[in-house]
Amino acid sequence: MKSFSRQILTMGNENPAEKALNLIRGRLCDPTFVFRPLSASSDSNYSKLKFIVSTSVTEGCNNSILLLGPRGSGKAAVLDLVVGDLMEEYPDSVTLISLNGLLHSEDNCAFKEIARQLCMEHHLLFSKMASFDENSQFIIAMLRECGLAHKTIIFVLDEFDMFAQASYSRGKQRLLYSLLDAMQSVTSQAVVVGISSRLDADQLLEKRVRSRFSHRKILFLPPSREEIDSLLEHLLSLPADSSFPSGYVSQFNEKIKNITSDTRFKDMLKTFLNANSTVNSLLKFIFRAVSSMNLESGLLSLENFKTALSSMQRQPKLEAVRADCSILELYLLVCMRRLEVKEQSSYNFISVMKEYKTIHDSFQTSDFYAQNVCLRAFEHLREREVICYAENRGQSQAGEYRSMKLLISASELHQGMRSHACCPAILLKLLDH
Amino acid sequence: MTREDSSKVTRRSTRFSSSLTNDNPEPNPSHPPTVADLTSGQESITLDALLSSFPGRRSQILDLIRLIGPLDSPALPVMVYGDASTGKTSVALQVFKHLNRPFVYSSCRTCCTPRLFFESILNQLLLHSKCSSNGYASAKRCDKPSDFVNLLKEALSGVVETLGSAKLERKLMGKMVYLIVDHVDLIKEWDKGAMILQFLFGLYSVLKMPQLGIILISGLPPDVYYSNMGYTDPIPVYFPEYSEEELRQIFLKSQVNKKLYSAFLDVALRPFCRVTRRVEELSTSLSSLFRKYCEPLDDLSISPNEDLKRRLYSNLRPHITSCLNEVFRVSGRPRDGDTRGERRQKASYSSEKGEELEVLDFHMSTSAKYLLIAAFLASRNPATLDASMFDSTGGMDNRKRKRKASEKSMEKKEMAEQEAVMKGPGSFPLERLLAIFQCIASVGDSSLGEEEDEEGEEEATGYDKESNNMMSDILLQVASLCDANFMIKSGSCPLEGSIRYRSMVSEDLSLKVARSLSFPLSKYLYRR
Repeated sequence: MKSFSRQILTMGNENPAEKALNLIRGRLCDPTFVFRPLSASSDSNYSKLKFIVSTSVTEGCNNSILLLGPRGSGKAAVLDLVVGDLMEEYPDSVTLISLNGLLHSEDNCAFKEIARQLCMEHHLLFSKMASFDENSQFIIAMLRECGLAHKTIIFVLDEFDMFAQASYSRGKQRLLYSLLDAMQSVTSQAVVVGISSRLDADQLLEKRVRSRFSHRKILFLPPSREEIDSLLEHLLSLPADSSFPSGYVSQFNEKIKNITSDTRFKDMLKTFLNANSTVNSLLKFIFRAVSSMNLESGLLSLENFKTALSSMQRQPKLEAVRADCSILELYLLVCMRRLEVKEQSSYNFISVMKEYKTIHDSFQTSDFYAQNVCLRAFEHLREREVICYAENRGQSQAGEYRSMKLLISASELHQGMRSHACCPAILLKLLDH
Repeated sequence: MTREDSSKVTRRSTRFSSSLTNDNPEPNPSHPPTVADLTSGQESITLDALLSSFPGRRSQILDLIRLIGPLDSPALPVMVYGDASTGKTSVALQVFKHLNRPFVYSSCRTCCTPRLFFESILNQLLLHSKCSSNGYASAKRCDKPSDFVNLLKEALSGVVETLGSAKLERKLMGKMVYLIVDHVDLIKEWDKGAMILQFLFGLYSVLKMPQLGIILISGLPPDVYYSNMGYTDPIPVYFPEYSEEELRQIFLKSQVNKKLYSAFLDVALRPFCRVTRRVEELSTSLSSLFRKYCEPLDDLSISPNEDLKRRLYSNLRPHITSCLNEVFRVSGRPRDGDTRGERRQKASYSSEKGEELEVLDFHMSTSAKYLLIAAFLASRNPATLDASMFDSTGGMDNRKRKRKASEKSMEKKEMAEQEAVMKGPGSFPLERLLAIFQCIASVGDSSLGEEEDEEGEEEATGYDKESNNMMSDILLQVASLCDANFMIKSGSCPLEGSIRYRSMVSEDLSLKVARSLSFPLSKYLYRR
């Protein structure tokens, strides 16, 4: 480990292992790099999207489209690729305005942001004091101007479902309506691209908005096995350029090929993908594995992937019992479980204490503590969210009398106690009966 | 209000403000804050020093360093989670001291609204410090996430530019800035907290700036943040509670006489670890116990041999059990004064074996004590029994006719008991409380003579006089008991329209209060 710190303090990146690590980490954090190979084929989402948007740029028509898919499947990344390519192909005819549902779901906010971005694009002065009406008139005027000058404005609405659901506008969806309406009435050239992880995002639209919306949807599905293999190779292979010593590059790529063709690695990958199939989670997995690369040898190994997999497959409640609970807290959990088994539908702290006392009386355990100590242990369990109050309304009752429930299943409790460092045997026996 | 205005306007100044002389030396910074101040500033520590100052945290520290990565390496967001006092915040800050990278720290406990939170981060990035010259105002006003994203982008690009261009003195700081957000779990309780949490987790993808690294510190595991909006999970780093061995190392680290303390820990640590393994709770109990352990020793710097160890242990043993039942309590008594109080307490320990018979350790007036007991009785006893309980003979005749209890009635009794436990203390209207209070206060009249020299309150002497004049004071007492949470208002009965109260006092506390008044509480308590 000492050489690790020495390498960090080295001035400049002379260590090829470190350079390789930085390169791969940079690739993993850059969505456009990741999604480029996935977009290469002609029937990919990238090509479909590009076709739609470029048609409206070249032919000067309006369009609207929804990108749908689970979180982390690369919708925003593919859109960025498309927009980047279009800006290169048609410089000066494409303006990008991006909004996010988390930030701009309020109408005032949204209009202000659109006006601000338009001003920045066209080098105009933006006044923060502009009112809502002034902003909306400005936007419509800009749409008309850009339409006449044959410039396309691409509106990207991230978290589209939040625009449709904004509680502040009480279901009015004013922003969506005004944008889509302006596109239809004014001579404008605009494309509205909505991105959402809700597959029914278009069902949330009001009737008047939906009628102006073209029902084009592009679904982003999890990548297939071949795509993943090619993605892995694309991400992890080092380029054979002069910044790396050549022997190192070939050694590194050889090791990667060995690892990816190993059956154990394939099994690991399959287990991982069964749980999370999006590209983003795969990137996190690889990031974790690559970060634990041994900097002395400078090569990845199967061990790195194994540790990454075990750290991504966490069971937090189980860990809370196994690693964090003291023995008194385990006693309380066992008492609650026993009360549940006895079909007592609801129980509170006082009934748990009664059960605790009965256990102590019948088994003469050495762990019998006063009520205030147990109450505090109870609070620790509640803070950790292993147990919680059963209903929220009981604010007028003292904490000891409110009914509680377990947030951990019986099997997890069992497993946690069995793997606990010093769980007394009597507790396991009590849990089983 | 600028300074010129305040000197012109002649205002009525209070005695206090005019006595203050206005020459507090302003901390005039000799140099304006620079980007280099974003790092810890002092000498960076080596990895070995870092690892040895946190026993038991070796794998977590190395994990965190690997995830942050070498200099200028882009990173995905990381979440450090674990129980309280497991060292998350201190490890994160010390890791940055070791790596010597610029970082911005903001805690959601001190910045308890979104506006404070956003502004604190922006102030640090814009190198703005609040002082009297700018009226203790932040650099930019920001309370919405949309403004925050725009301002953050500007501030970050400014900082990154400075880092890239300036020739910094000796150390290499890299071109990345890290954002550490502490106590993320407290955001859940904020107004619109779910939205802010979603925003914080998605901040990395919204900003699209690879020069920012985000580290979140949370007291709760990541599964409590799952929401129906989907969840972009950061990479988790788990800080489990310390094991017994690690606790030993932690407690030994700061001790002068390690051999003596380790002999003490040999006997004391294990029973305490069965109750809790949190460092902050253990340290208070262990320190008081260690003082008792060292009592028979004259010289605190000796290293004990086996014989001495055995003697010290046998001296300590009776105190361990009593201390265990006090683990979570921090004593209100001063440490080295009032030995008289301690001796009295020891006497009461020995008088009742097993049970703890403590004196009430806070002060209450006599009428408040009677009100407390009256509230407790009103909550515990059913209203229909009031007449028989508080009749002129002063107390219930507990001898009931012994009937052979049938099985069905036993079952019914058990069910009723369970229901009573689940429902908790009952509620009562104000009139009932006052009626019971007047009954028991008249019982206590006889014992008032001894109470008078303890209490100095006027209300104590007023009982045998007209109780009508006391009504307003009693109502004030009811209000102050409600404020102190001994009673709570529990909603009004729709038929009568009067407010009902509920007593929140435990049986132990009411017994203590009754004992201090020499009031026979058990005679009035209804037992099923």
